[in-house]
Amino acid sequence: MDAPAVRARLLPQLLALPALLLLWEASVRGLAVSPDKLPAPSTVLATIWAAHTIFAQAVGTTLYEAVLGLVAGTLFGVASGVLFSRFRLLERMFLPYFVASQAVPIIAFGAIIILWFGNGVVSKALIAFYLSFFPVAVNTLVGIHGVPAEQVGLLRTFGASPLTILLRLQLPAALPAIFTAVRLGASLALVGAIVGEWFGATRGLGVVLLTAMYEYRMTYLWAGILLTGLTGVALFVVIAALQRRIAWWQVET
Amino acid sequence: MHPESGGSVATPKIRLQHVSKRFASGPAAVPTLHNVDLSIHEGDFVTLIGPSGCGKSTLFNILVGLVPPDEGGALFIDGKQERPDHLLGRVAFMPQRDMLLPWRTVLDNAILAAEIDGVARAEARERARRSLDRFGLNGFEHYYPGQLSGGMRQRVALMRTFMFDREIMLLDEPFGALDALTRALMQRWLLEVWEGARRTVLFITHDIEEAIFLGDRVLVMSARPGHIKLDIPVRLPRPRSPDVVTSPEFVAIKRDLLSAVEDESMKAFAAMNRAVVEQAGG
Repeated sequence: MDAPAVRARLLPQLLALPALLLLWEASVRGLAVSPDKLPAPSTVLATIWAAHTIFAQAVGTTLYEAVLGLVAGTLFGVASGVLFSRFRLLERMFLPYFVASQAVPIIAFGAIIILWFGNGVVSKALIAFYLSFFPVAVNTLVGIHGVPAEQVGLLRTFGASPLTILLRLQLPAALPAIFTAVRLGASLALVGAIVGEWFGATRGLGVVLLTAMYEYRMTYLWAGILLTGLTGVALFVVIAALQRRIAWWQVET
Repeated sequence: MHPESGGSVATPKIRLQHVSKRFASGPAAVPTLHNVDLSIHEGDFVTLIGPSGCGKSTLFNILVGLVPPDEGGALFIDGKQERPDHLLGRVAFMPQRDMLLPWRTVLDNAILAAEIDGVARAEARERARRSLDRFGLNGFEHYYPGQLSGGMRQRVALMRTFMFDREIMLLDEPFGALDALTRALMQRWLLEVWEGARRTVLFITHDIEEAIFLGDRVLVMSARPGHIKLDIPVRLPRPRSPDVVTSPEFVAIKRDLLSAVEDESMKAFAAMNRAVVEQAGG
């Protein structure tokens, strides 16, 4: 998509945000909602501004954990997808366990991860990794399998080795599917980082949300929610932009 | 007619001897190819026609090394017997679908085979730029396949095949999906390109006129199990003009071919019906 088309599509979306905030503000004031239930957005924004170094640190920490886990999950997912596509036996041996691993909610062993890896960045990145590698592995495999056999055959008639076929044909062909999975993985990684922080952490959005809840600081809680949402959107936008740059072509059928 | 009645004493570029292929096993399975014998001389343009499902594409897959023939057959290139798996990378193959890579530009699609063959990318691109004009792609080098018409995509695929510098070229119905007008233009253009860079060509088509117009020889394949049923030389002078199709010799060849192809098509049709009845009954 070219720049004017993107702008034409983005403009209404960007206009909707202040409209929603205004509606929220007007409702809270007009209906005299207690700030203990739902504070006005102006109050929330003022809170964020007043403690912006603390909030910036929280966003930075959580984003760092999530991105670390997402990058590791993407690399591991692509690598295992490639290995599964190359060696049927590996796929038969390990793919069922990949599926099973996703059936166990992370909550079940979040505590163990904190006890093993401490309450720093590593444990959260690990949980983010755990949640994000699976869709990437599956979509890499599906993307590689989706390359028609005749197309692989054509490259073989050019004398291409399996590695050349992987690098010149199969991986590029799988890129759109891989990006779709990374987008999904990004929101999962963010959830993973925050859940990890709930199990034990000193900083991060999860810590902000949890302390606000325990201390019943409603404005502070809403600030955390708003920032978490914005972080998720930012992550999504960055990956979507990467996808448009790197895997921009339409999949041919 | 015996396939080696060409009369030439030179070693054929390609020779197939009793090449057969049976995919499914068991006594009921009809072989796809049965005792294909065939010789093609260097620099010849040979066209191959036959009914649907007669094994033309299987024959091509054997010739490029993607499918091994059954035991007992032999394949010679320049008189030397070749192991089937040694044929990969030896023959320039253009499949029915262009199979261009959507993420590569026209130029980079054209150099794909050469690049895989080990030509440095910059050098391959330079060589491709010089050929753009000949393939009617001038000014389109930075376009992506998704932006091209069917005829142009086919020319990019042909360019890729020509740039994979091999003495033997196999073209599997390259113009099958094009409309009649584009097809006629592409045929004349292909002959021009071929006369500029003479290769041994084997060209599959469904179209009898196309087969005569392009070929030095037309081979007719039988219905399954496929073998070479007819081998007709085309002694029309080259370069051939479009109105050659109305010459008496062209028409005479066409008459022979029509009846042969129709015979085989009827057989193929009957066999298909039998298979359907058997399936319904069994």
